[in-house]
Amino acid sequence: MTTIALQVNRRAVELSAEPRTSLADFVRDKLDLTGTHLGCEHGVCGACTVLLDGVPARSCITYAAACEGADVTTIEGLDEDEISTELRAAFTREHALQCGYCTPGMLVSARDLVLRLPDADERRIRVGLSGNLCRCTGYVGIVRAVQSVIEARRARNVAPLADGGRTSLGPVGSGRATASRSERPVQQALAPASESATPGSIPDFTPATVLDQRFTLAHPPAKVFAMFDDIAGIAACLPGVSLKSPPRPERVEGLIRVRLGPIAAAFEGAARVERDPATLSGRIVGIGTDQRSHSATQGEIRYRLLPLENGAATAVELSIGYTLTGMLAQVGRPGLVRDLAKRLVAEFAANLDRHMSGASSGQAAPAELSFWSIVSDVLRALLARIFGRAFTGRGGAQ
Amino acid sequence: MKPAPFAYERPRDLNAALSMLAAGNGSAKIIAGGQSLGPMLNLRLVQPELIIDISGLVELKRAEISGGELVLGALVTHADIEDGRTADVTRGAMRGVATNIAYRAVRNRGTIGGSLSHADPAADWISALAALGARVTLRSLAGARSMAVEAFVVGALESALHASEIVEAVHVPMRAASAHWGYAKSCRKTGEFAHAIGAVLIDPAAASARVVIGAIDTTPIVITDAAELFGGRIAADYKQRFDVRVADALLAKAGIDDAAQRHIHISVLKRAVLEAGA
Repeated sequence: MTTIALQVNRRAVELSAEPRTSLADFVRDKLDLTGTHLGCEHGVCGACTVLLDGVPARSCITYAAACEGADVTTIEGLDEDEISTELRAAFTREHALQCGYCTPGMLVSARDLVLRLPDADERRIRVGLSGNLCRCTGYVGIVRAVQSVIEARRARNVAPLADGGRTSLGPVGSGRATASRSERPVQQALAPASESATPGSIPDFTPATVLDQRFTLAHPPAKVFAMFDDIAGIAACLPGVSLKSPPRPERVEGLIRVRLGPIAAAFEGAARVERDPATLSGRIVGIGTDQRSHSATQGEIRYRLLPLENGAATAVELSIGYTLTGMLAQVGRPGLVRDLAKRLVAEFAANLDRHMSGASSGQAAPAELSFWSIVSDVLRALLARIFGRAFTGRGGAQ
Repeated sequence: MKPAPFAYERPRDLNAALSMLAAGNGSAKIIAGGQSLGPMLNLRLVQPELIIDISGLVELKRAEISGGELVLGALVTHADIEDGRTADVTRGAMRGVATNIAYRAVRNRGTIGGSLSHADPAADWISALAALGARVTLRSLAGARSMAVEAFVVGALESALHASEIVEAVHVPMRAASAHWGYAKSCRKTGEFAHAIGAVLIDPAAASARVVIGAIDTTPIVITDAAELFGGRIAADYKQRFDVRVADALLAKAGIDDAAQRHIHISVLKRAVLEAGA
C-alpha cells in the first residue's frame, strides 16, 4: 500500500491504496464517487474519462499513485460548472442519452470540445467524441447537443480556449509529486503448472488462422527429413522451448516461453508428431495453456520438404495454423503475426542450418521441444494479436 | 481487468530512475503517461515486479531549439505538440501528426518517448519522425547514445533499447523552407491504430526525399534515396511522376504478400504524396 494525496473535486484527499489501483477505482471504491464509470478498462471506450489537472484523461489507465498532488474532477465535481450545466440541459433536450452509462465520460469529453473548438463543426465534434463509445443513441442526439452548446456560446462571444487552459509540458496529473517508494508487494510465486495443465489428449482441430512460411537449407531433403525426426535436436534450434520429459513422436510435452515486447507468456502443453516419408512431409499438432493469462491455444504445423538444386538443397514449406482462446484472444491484430513468424522462422532456419552443418546452434539450452516450437512462433504471434486493436484507441502513446 | 500487483517507485531524478531500472534486472518497467503500458498491465499481458514512474521528471519535459534542431524531452505529450506548447521546426508537420493520434484524453497523457519505446509499428511517431529524419537519444547509467528513429525500431514492439536504457529525447531537424510534407493514414475508426501510414518529406529544390511506408506490422519501410519512386528524379512535378509500381515492388520486397494489403499501403502513400505541400 502506498499513501496517495491529491485533490478530488476541490477537496484534499489522502488515502492509502495499492499502486495498481487505477484512478477510476480509487475515486469509485475509496471515495464513493461512482459517477465515473468503467467500461473497457483499457482506454478505448471513454466511460471513465475525468478531468485531470483540468483536462480530460482516462482514469482506467491512469494509476492513482501517478496522480500524487494532482487535481482530479469527476462528474460529481461538475455540478456547478457552467459548461457542464449547459451540456446537461442540451443532452436532455436532444435526447443525448438512453442508458446513461457513457454519459459521465461523454460529458467530460464534450465539455473539453465546447471549451476548445472554435466553431460547431459537426465533423470535428464527431472526431472529438470518437474516443467515447455510446451503444444506445447512435450519437446523433449527442452531437446535436454539443453543437448547440458551442453555437450558443460562440453566439454569446465566449471565445474558445484552444489548449484547454494547460500551460505546462508532460503528462497531465504529473509533476507535483515528490519522490516516493512503495513497499514491495509480496510476490505471488507463479504457481507451478499443475499436472492438469498438460492435456490428456491432443485433438484435431480446424485452425482459425493459417500462415505459410518457407525457408531453404543447403542440405539434401533426405538429410533434412532425418533431422526433422530428431525432436530433441530440432528443439535445440528453437528459442524459448524446454521439454518436460524425453520426447516420443506420439507425445511431446514441454513449455514454450514466448516474449513479445513487454509481454511474456509460458504455454505448457503437449504435441504429437506425424511423418510421411513417402512425401517427405509431416504434421505436428499441439495444445497448450498459459496459466498466467488463462489463455489456451491449439496449433498445427504442416511441413513439406522439396528438393532444390537437383537435390543438393531443400526448400522447407511450413503451414502454421492456430486457434487462440481466452484472454490473449480478446484482441486481435493478426498482422503482427506475419512479422513475428517470419523473424522466428528465419532464426529457426539459421539455427537448423548451423546444427546440420555440425556447429552448435548457439543455444545453451539442453533438450528443447520440437516443432512445437514453431508453434512457439505461432504463440508469439498470437501474443502479438493481443495488443491489438484492444489498445486501439491510442495510436501509440505511452 | 485489474493489473497484477506491482511495486511502484517515483524516482527523484533521471539518474535515480536509471539506477532503479538497472537494479530491476529486467523485472522493472518504466511508465510515463501509461497510455500503451496501462492497457497491457490491466489485461495482465505485462506483469512487472516494479513500475518506475518517470512522469514527474523535469529533465524529460524540455522542449527547446538547440543547434538548429528541436530537442523534445521524452515526456512531451502529443497534446503538448498539438497545442503548440512546444517550439516547432517542422512548420506544422508534427502538430498535424499529434492532433490525429488517438483521442484527446489519451493525448493529454501519452508521451512521444513512450510511444517510441513501445515501438508499435502502427503508431504515428515511428513513421512520422523517421520521415522527418529525427534521431533519438537513449540513456543508461553507462551514458548516452544516439540513433536515427528508423534504426531504433527493430520490429513489432521491439526497439533497440537495452534493458537498462530509456529514451531521453527526440531530436528533430529543421524542415527546409523548400521541403514539402505529406502525411496520411488509414484507420477503420478514428483514433484507432493505423492500418497504413504514408509519410513523405520531399524537397523538389534539393531533389531529395524521405518516404516512409508505415504500419506494415514491422519496422516501417524508410526510403531515403527515393528518386526511383518518382520516375528517376525528384522535381517540382513529383506528384505526377509518383510511380505506384515502384512502391508496390518495395512492399512486395518487404514481404507484404497480400496484394490487397499492398494496394491499401500504396493508396495511403499516394494520398500523402498528393496532399504534400510546402
